[in-house]
Amino acid sequence: MSTRWYPVYQRGNPQLRIFLPNFWMKLIRPAEEQPKNVATFSVSMQMSKYDVKNYLEKIYKLPVVDVRTRIEMGKTKRDQTLGYVTKEDDVKIAYVTLPRTEEFTFPDLFEKKEEQKKAEEKSMDDSKQGFKRFLDRNKKRPGTPGWYSI
Amino acid sequence: MSSVLKILNVAKTVKTVCTSISNKSLTNSLLNRIQCQQIQISQNAFFFYLSTRSFHSSRPCLDLMQFFDDPKNWSENEVKVGRAWKLEELRIKSNKDLHQLWYVLLKERNMLLTMEHECNEKMELFPSPERLDKVKISMENLETVVRERNKAYHLLETGETGERPSRVVYNALGLRHLYKSCEHVLPPHMNVKWIKSRNIGFGGRAVRKFLLLYREKLYNVKRKAKNRSRNEVMMMLRRNPNIDIQIIRSKYPDVDVDKLLRDDKTRGHFVPKVDI
Repeated sequence: MSTRWYPVYQRGNPQLRIFLPNFWMKLIRPAEEQPKNVATFSVSMQMSKYDVKNYLEKIYKLPVVDVRTRIEMGKTKRDQTLGYVTKEDDVKIAYVTLPRTEEFTFPDLFEKKEEQKKAEEKSMDDSKQGFKRFLDRNKKRPGTPGWYSI
Repeated sequence: MSSVLKILNVAKTVKTVCTSISNKSLTNSLLNRIQCQQIQISQNAFFFYLSTRSFHSSRPCLDLMQFFDDPKNWSENEVKVGRAWKLEELRIKSNKDLHQLWYVLLKERNMLLTMEHECNEKMELFPSPERLDKVKISMENLETVVRERNKAYHLLETGETGERPSRVVYNALGLRHLYKSCEHVLPPHMNVKWIKSRNIGFGGRAVRKFLLLYREKLYNVKRKAKNRSRNEVMMMLRRNPNIDIQIIRSKYPDVDVDKLLRDDKTRGHFVPKVDI
């Protein structure tokens, strides 16, 4: 694709400009405990530390102090029945240090999920009960429509 | 004298036309800009949850919450969004608008990927996963439009498409494939590694045998497909004696229907009606 075809960089040439970057970054929950000003990202494998820094500074307008990256090897798994080995893809993890004044804790996204689930179950139970009552009432007169009596 | 007068007249008309065109273009550009803004506003409504997030009252820049969805969508089972951007919608946009939209889509994709990852971690269902597909389609369409414009510009300026050149080459096993050319730091006569790699031929006995079997495999696929379609037509003819032949001909162009009709196999298990 012409928009993804970049010239080879030679010394003295202007720096490569990417107009439509295709990199992705995921903010993930840190596996280990981190200082409060460190955010953990899972990033595109092609991204360098400078790419991560520029990405966050230019697109997200975040102040970045330092970036460290590592490549996490994907887990291998043996198939239970046929015995062949499969491997998940490797991922690049970036630890981004924000200024000391910043604080970030990964939010709990499913706080309200429990309450909602309970409410849904309750409404489901209610409707089940209602249907049961309706059936009981119409036991002796099968085939009567619902609007026939109160 | 008359010719001079004519030229003068022509010059006058040209001048008036020029001024009118400039006025028109000015008004046109203004109109376009206004329309663009209107479209922009309406499109922003499509990304309404985005726009609500982007309204920061204080310190707009220092926020990692841009990577998360709107908090009111966190516990939802379904998030309702609009459709993806179409090609014809993107074609009428200016380059600047497309550039801005790309970053909007990029941020949206990062947000969705973050949410999906967290949902998977917590063993929850990711609400409306089709959002990711919509963003992907939009990005593909946008890139297509940019590519079209690049192509048109290059064709106008240089007479070439400006696309990455590619050519058909044979690999070490003698198989054809499309090679996409790329720039090299070294010129070919200095690139020893490449020169050495070219010395590996594919004329050996093992490679010939492989190619023979490989081509047989390809041929078998083709042959079986042909037989399959012929048998299909045969069974149809056998079961439906009054079937429309023209439809079969148009649907299976590579099957010789006339030959099949003469065949005994296409006749059903019934006594044929013979006109006496």
